[in-house]
Amino acid sequence: MKKVVEVFLLFLLLVFTPHAKGTGNSPPGKPTLNRCRSPEKETFTCWWEPGSDGGLPTTFALYYRKETSETVYECPDYHTAGKNSCFFNKNDTSIWVNYNITVVATNALGSTFSDPVDIDVVYIVKPNPPERVTVIVLEDKSWPFLRVSWEPPHKADTRSGWITLVYQIRVKLEQEKDWETHHAGQQKMFNVFSLRSGGTYLVQVRCKPDHGFWSEWSSTSYVKVPDYFHREKSVWILIMVFSAFIFLILTWLLHMNSHSLKHCILPPVPGPKIKGFDNQLLKNGKSEELFSALVVSDFPPTTSYNYEDLLVEYLEVNVPEEQELMLEENKDLHDGCLKSECSTSDSDSGRGSCDSHTLLMDKCGEAKEEERQTDQERMGTEAEDMVSPDMSSGRVKTWPSVFSPLPQYSSNTLDEQSSLEMAKQHYLSDSQFLPSSTSSYLTQPGHGTKEALGPSYWEFCLSNKQPHLLHPQTQARQQLQAHSDVDISSIGRKQAPAGLQSPLLRPTEYVEVQRVNEEDMVHLQPVVSGCGQNNCSPQMPQGEDYSKVKGVDSDNVLLLQRNMMEEDRCPCEHQETNGVKENCYTSSTVTTTQKPTAMPVQDEMVLGMNGYVDTATMCILPTY
Amino acid sequence: LWPYLLTVSIPLDCREEQSSLSRCPSISQEKLLDRVIQHAELIYRVSEESCSLFEEMFVPFPLQLQRNQAGYACITKALPIPSSKSEIQQISDKWLLHSVLMLVQSWIEPLVYLQTTMDRYDGAPEMLLNKTKWVSEKLIGLEQGVVVLIKKMLDEGMMTTTYSEQGLFQYDVPPEMLESVMRDYTILSCFKKDAHKMEILLKLLKCRQTDTYNCA
Repeated sequence: MKKVVEVFLLFLLLVFTPHAKGTGNSPPGKPTLNRCRSPEKETFTCWWEPGSDGGLPTTFALYYRKETSETVYECPDYHTAGKNSCFFNKNDTSIWVNYNITVVATNALGSTFSDPVDIDVVYIVKPNPPERVTVIVLEDKSWPFLRVSWEPPHKADTRSGWITLVYQIRVKLEQEKDWETHHAGQQKMFNVFSLRSGGTYLVQVRCKPDHGFWSEWSSTSYVKVPDYFHREKSVWILIMVFSAFIFLILTWLLHMNSHSLKHCILPPVPGPKIKGFDNQLLKNGKSEELFSALVVSDFPPTTSYNYEDLLVEYLEVNVPEEQELMLEENKDLHDGCLKSECSTSDSDSGRGSCDSHTLLMDKCGEAKEEERQTDQERMGTEAEDMVSPDMSSGRVKTWPSVFSPLPQYSSNTLDEQSSLEMAKQHYLSDSQFLPSSTSSYLTQPGHGTKEALGPSYWEFCLSNKQPHLLHPQTQARQQLQAHSDVDISSIGRKQAPAGLQSPLLRPTEYVEVQRVNEEDMVHLQPVVSGCGQNNCSPQMPQGEDYSKVKGVDSDNVLLLQRNMMEEDRCPCEHQETNGVKENCYTSSTVTTTQKPTAMPVQDEMVLGMNGYVDTATMCILPTY
Repeated sequence: LWPYLLTVSIPLDCREEQSSLSRCPSISQEKLLDRVIQHAELIYRVSEESCSLFEEMFVPFPLQLQRNQAGYACITKALPIPSSKSEIQQISDKWLLHSVLMLVQSWIEPLVYLQTTMDRYDGAPEMLLNKTKWVSEKLIGLEQGVVVLIKKMLDEGMMTTTYSEQGLFQYDVPPEMLESVMRDYTILSCFKKDAHKMEILLKLLKCRQTDTYNCA
């Protein structure tokens, strides 16, 4: 029994003993060569990693073989580079050949070879970090920057060119965590810009050969940037403050002068204003009062007019002095004037084109209106002719269509004002027309009726044209009126043609029938010869002369003869008008009847084509 | 099986920029030639610097232009080395390499000697001494490189020169100062010229490797 137990115990011992010792006793594990480095391409070191040691003390040996030979050498120096390393010195290092290196781990039980490794010294160069890194702060016009300088590792032979190193710098602020890396090439100095004022910077440098590994970063250098002020920022701040200040001032000025500025930039728009028209009344809705205010009591002009006075005034007035006379006298006549849009002293806003002369025109217009009433038939051409002078002003276009031929006339040489006046007169006269009469204008262009007056009006040749006698068939009366308007206007003009001014004095001035009043009186007025130009001397009215009075026939027809003075000087080219045919014809006679009724309609005025013969009252005979 | 072996096989021609633990067994011929040329360039540059430095410091001005006087002829004059352009063009690659090797080997000892004489000068700057030392060391390395190159290119085995203390210019008695200076000056300047020649020969060899017909 005991024997069995002993055998059993022995057996157990035998079994367990190797088990207990099995973990330590084995050949060593395979070492690995993990790294070989050369700091300057003249020496190099290899490090290996031992494998498991197998529980027994293990020794390592490094063997190497140069490429060209089969001779195996052992590592010459195991100690210089530390544990598990092999250092190859200068004599053993060759850049011409590869090294085949093997590490062998040996213990009591065996040896294990590592995998062989081939080394080319040139490609395993990892230099030491750069040395003596210095950082200083330099000023650059209040923009400081860092200047970093260093030296290559002392072992690396860069001076002869044996190794060529490139460098790298990295910078960061103390409190940040990201580095800013800069590549410095082969130079040994570098500038860092864009610094934060007052910050502390950390700087490091490292290097690398053209074929090889980066070195470790050098030790950190600390540098503090002094506080500096951004000069640019201060300039900008100043500019902003200054411009804000100016802006405030401008705003204040604008505010102070807002009213006058408003007036200047946005002038009040003139609105139409009618004298005697009261907006308030309109608003109030009282039309009675409103319209009563508009109505002029003495419109149409009644026979209270003193035509004779008027005529006389016209005949006697001389330009320039007589103008004022005329003006004065005419003022009397304007009692019953319609609302004068154009009063000399009109304070309404819309009075641009009106002046005192229009006053006269108004008067004349009224006078003419009377005639018109009596004379129902007109020739459109006459009207046209009449209107012609107005054309010159260019204003004619605004005229009613009655005066369509106006466009024939070229641009006026007359004074614009005068033409305007004339136009105004015409307009007035026209407006004063009864609608029928106006239509009669248009519809009876070819009417051959001749006015009793049979006047043919001189038309104003505004552009140096001779006033030509209107066709006798034309409506003398209206034209008379119109002409009278014109005359009046011309009177007012400074450069008024001489017609009105001194018909007596100027042989070439014409007289025209202004109207025939109820008493069968023909009111003549001088017709302004068509000196269209501003500079037209009244003394030389171009165009035809007035017809001379031949005599008075039995029918109380005043025969006027026209002078053939300047036949070829009838530049009045109103060819278009029907009434205008021949120039400077001496036709002769305008017979005007004293009878108002017969005048415009029945009488056939045989007149020279262009001009018209003005009927003159007996009083006016002497004029021509 | 074969493809596996091929992939595992170690390439004979190594590409550049391999990691340190590359499996490249040998340096390629082109790479080797480049390194040799680079080496020769460096040697030439440093020798030029030391020569001019020596000239400034020790050689009196009037004598600076008398390098090639009879007494101071270059030691390598006797070597059968092509010197003119036409000769160089006719020489073969093999002879190019051998000429370079000859030059290198013939200069190893004189440079060692130069080291010893330089130490004797008073006031010789550290830099000069370091340079000359550096040159002599690098020259030995160049010799090794050329030997390897010859083996690779011509498949010939050569022995590097053994390094002996005995030299042609070993004098027991230090010569007169000026004479010594002039001799050293001659050595340096001759070596400078020969270093330049080495560099040119090697570069010509490289040119022939890449472009056979356009090399001067």
